[in-house]
Amino acid sequence: MIKALGFLAVFLCSINALAITVTDSRGEHHFERVPERVVTLSWSIVESLIELGITPLAMADIDGYKKWVVRPALPETVIDIGTREEPNIERLAELRPDVIIISNGQSDLIGKLEKVAPVLFFDAFNKDHNNYQASRQIFLELAVLFHRVALANGRVASMEARFAELKAALLRHFGGELPKVTCVRFNTTAVLWVYGDNSMPHYALEALGLEPAFPQPATQWGVVQKKLTDLAQIRDGIVLSIEPFDQAEALFSAPLWKAMPFVRANRFASVRSTWTYGGPLSIQYLAESITEALLTIKP
Amino acid sequence: MARYLITLSLFFLVLIAYLQINTALSLTEQWRLIFTAQAVEFEEFQFYYSTLPRAVLAMMVGGALGLVGSLFQQLTQNRLLSPMTLGAASGAWLVLICASVWAPALLADLGVGLATAGSMLAVGLVLLIAGRRGISGLPIILAGMAVHILLGAIASAVILLNEQYARHLFIWGAGDLTQVDWQWVAWLAPRLSVGLIILALAHHPLMLLRLGEQGAKARGLSILPILLFLVLIALWLVASAITAVGVIGFIGLLTPNIARSLGAGGALDELAYSVMLGAILLLATDAIAIVASLWMPDLIPTGTAAALIGAPCLIWFAQGRLTANDHTALQWPEGAHRVKPFVWWMVYASILVLLVLAFFFSPANLTSTVQAWPFEWPSELVFSLRWPRIVTAMAAGAGMAAAGVILQRLIRNPLASPDILGLSAGATLALVVTTVVSGGSIHEAGSIVAFIGSMGVLAILILLGRKHDYAPGIMILIGISLAALLEAVVHFVLAKGGDEVYSIIGWLAGSTYRVSARQSILLLTGVGILFGLCLLTSRWLTLISVGDQIALARGLDAKRARLVLLVLVALLCAMVTAIMGPVAFVGLLAPHMAALLGAKKALPQLVLAMLVGMVLMLLSDWLGRTVLYPSQMPAGTIASILGGSYFIYLLARRRFT
Repeated sequence: MIKALGFLAVFLCSINALAITVTDSRGEHHFERVPERVVTLSWSIVESLIELGITPLAMADIDGYKKWVVRPALPETVIDIGTREEPNIERLAELRPDVIIISNGQSDLIGKLEKVAPVLFFDAFNKDHNNYQASRQIFLELAVLFHRVALANGRVASMEARFAELKAALLRHFGGELPKVTCVRFNTTAVLWVYGDNSMPHYALEALGLEPAFPQPATQWGVVQKKLTDLAQIRDGIVLSIEPFDQAEALFSAPLWKAMPFVRANRFASVRSTWTYGGPLSIQYLAESITEALLTIKP
Repeated sequence: MARYLITLSLFFLVLIAYLQINTALSLTEQWRLIFTAQAVEFEEFQFYYSTLPRAVLAMMVGGALGLVGSLFQQLTQNRLLSPMTLGAASGAWLVLICASVWAPALLADLGVGLATAGSMLAVGLVLLIAGRRGISGLPIILAGMAVHILLGAIASAVILLNEQYARHLFIWGAGDLTQVDWQWVAWLAPRLSVGLIILALAHHPLMLLRLGEQGAKARGLSILPILLFLVLIALWLVASAITAVGVIGFIGLLTPNIARSLGAGGALDELAYSVMLGAILLLATDAIAIVASLWMPDLIPTGTAAALIGAPCLIWFAQGRLTANDHTALQWPEGAHRVKPFVWWMVYASILVLLVLAFFFSPANLTSTVQAWPFEWPSELVFSLRWPRIVTAMAAGAGMAAAGVILQRLIRNPLASPDILGLSAGATLALVVTTVVSGGSIHEAGSIVAFIGSMGVLAILILLGRKHDYAPGIMILIGISLAALLEAVVHFVLAKGGDEVYSIIGWLAGSTYRVSARQSILLLTGVGILFGLCLLTSRWLTLISVGDQIALARGLDAKRARLVLLVLVALLCAMVTAIMGPVAFVGLLAPHMAALLGAKKALPQLVLAMLVGMVLMLLSDWLGRTVLYPSQMPAGTIASILGGSYFIYLLARRRFT
């Protein structure tokens, strides 16, 4: 009897150890074992998966990811299941995934996807939460799901260490007093997007200890559209333009541009192409690119 | 003369007010900057290189649009015509989208030429479809809308497959005048100066035209070559303006109408006065856009402001001046006189074949390395994914076809399509506004919101149409205004940025992809009931399409019948749009094809059109699922491209033989 109870106890413990509980934007989900065949329809989720060392079985719009997100690089084995807007569920079903992970703009697919496999939905970008904290939370939840908590914590810690390193480099460069900085992306020569509160570049700046030079209210994606001349309101601070911008030559030779206060004061630099709607670790890529650009500016 | 003096002083007033917006410079400082002084401070640079060129550009573009609008309206005696209703903008839009996706390098050097070619092509197509007799009436406007929908659908398909590339074009699509130097003014000025040729040459032939073509011929003058020359110059002006500042609607349409109502009489008088008024109107609109941008977190493009102000203005302005009745009877295209049994069998057989394809064909077996028979019995899961799509496609095709038959008979024009009533536009507008306010995805906003949007448009139609006995003119006018308004708002939202853009374009395409089992059954039931009601009205349809007099003589209350039929069309359209998004062309083509196949009477036309509509949608949905496998295209997009191409082929063939 005691022996039997003992077995039962061991058995229960082992189930407990194996059962995984993950919380997504809808609530708690239980998995009996670590999913192996993972499919995701979201670019920001793919990014987190690869950082965790998980190669997704399939994802949506691989060509688009390779052109626009770029980092981290995608393994060649990943299978394409069509566009992010209408991923091919029949193809998905043939792949027999263990879990399907989706994010913004795809929650209405849950009903159909759940017929194929358990679905995790993460509301990554929302006006009412801190997009960076949310993406970190998602990253950690995924780590729980794949039994990679230690790796994830290590990754986050190394990211924070990297922030400290970059911040120190900036402090050295700017002689102890950090400037105010705002990131923008040019649309045309006359119109641009400003990365305001709740945008990923905003949080990258925050992680580096930089104040915004042109504060904007929080929105879902963190961007607001402005005229070029609106940037003239920045009297004290640096403007960084995230590439690519194919009309750069035309703009940078215009007299009005040269008269912009931050251009006259040599407070402008370009940041190499970096995806701005990514997961938590994209903040590190952004911070690195931003630091690289800032170091080209004379203190 | 007094009219010109008063308008000129109004012009200076608007200009001076415009220059005072958001600047720290005094008038005298501005004056000095314009004529003598060099800019030193940033405010001065901003005034000289941004505010001033923007004002000049607004005046130039406004004047050009006014001139072209007036010329077109005089040439065609058609008050609803403008460069935008002729499809010029959508042609340029499509070409620029394609270029930016496949040949971005080309865009920098040749963008201007490409846009010009695109808009000329589109306008040429519209003129070709409408034909010479259709130019003065509704046909040209309907042809313009058809071409606009077709080109728009192709552009959306391209964007859907390459979402990120087209990004920077959205602000251009929304129409924005913001400037950072004099480059565009310098570019546009010589190109617009050819407009002077119109002012110099147009008076005489246009006055002759007013006498009627016979009158002109009687004087021994063939005015056709010179008119053609004028049209070419006008198109050149429009294409240049579009290339420089993007799509700005309503100015070209409204200006000549206002000019006439303020007393512009002679041909040259109207042209010249429209130039002046157009400049003032666009300048004032741009001022509103600038002020609004100061108050909003995001920039408001000029084109959006023009549409927001222009659409209600147009409806208000035109509704008092439209004649209530036009007494034309409906002309169906040539074709068989009655439906042969063979045709019925063919249609049933096609539906059967398509159903087999839709259920059992699996494209995966064709693309995989293992060669396998592409037909297989679907698993329970695959079946549960496929049947709601198939049911939805069939119901939507049937519903839109029935709506099309009724509408074409109601408006007495075989070029009419249910989209022109603006019901889909209303649904989309409601959804887009909801998502912008609530911040969710457009797919989460739900069918209820879409349905409410469509019903709102129906309420407007009934309210405004009542005075005119629901005459075709007013209904089309409302539809056009709403569609243009919607487009401006959508482009504004697209330009605003964020990563949700692609789901809005996806919704606009009209897809069965997201339809749930419950929704598909709901749609099927709804369309079934409404279709039954349609069959009951077939006698009204027969009478109404012959003409109001005859209908009246047979004891039909035409006004009430029209209202009932209008509500039927609206409900059908609203149901389909709410569940799968806007579906264009099926409602236009299915009745047309049914008539070609011999269904000339109302009852057989309703039934045959319904079946043809089913075939069209089933085919589109199946093609959308298989052609680009594993990527998918929305059925609405495929239907637009298939239907639009067939439609243009049909009309062009009729014109040439």
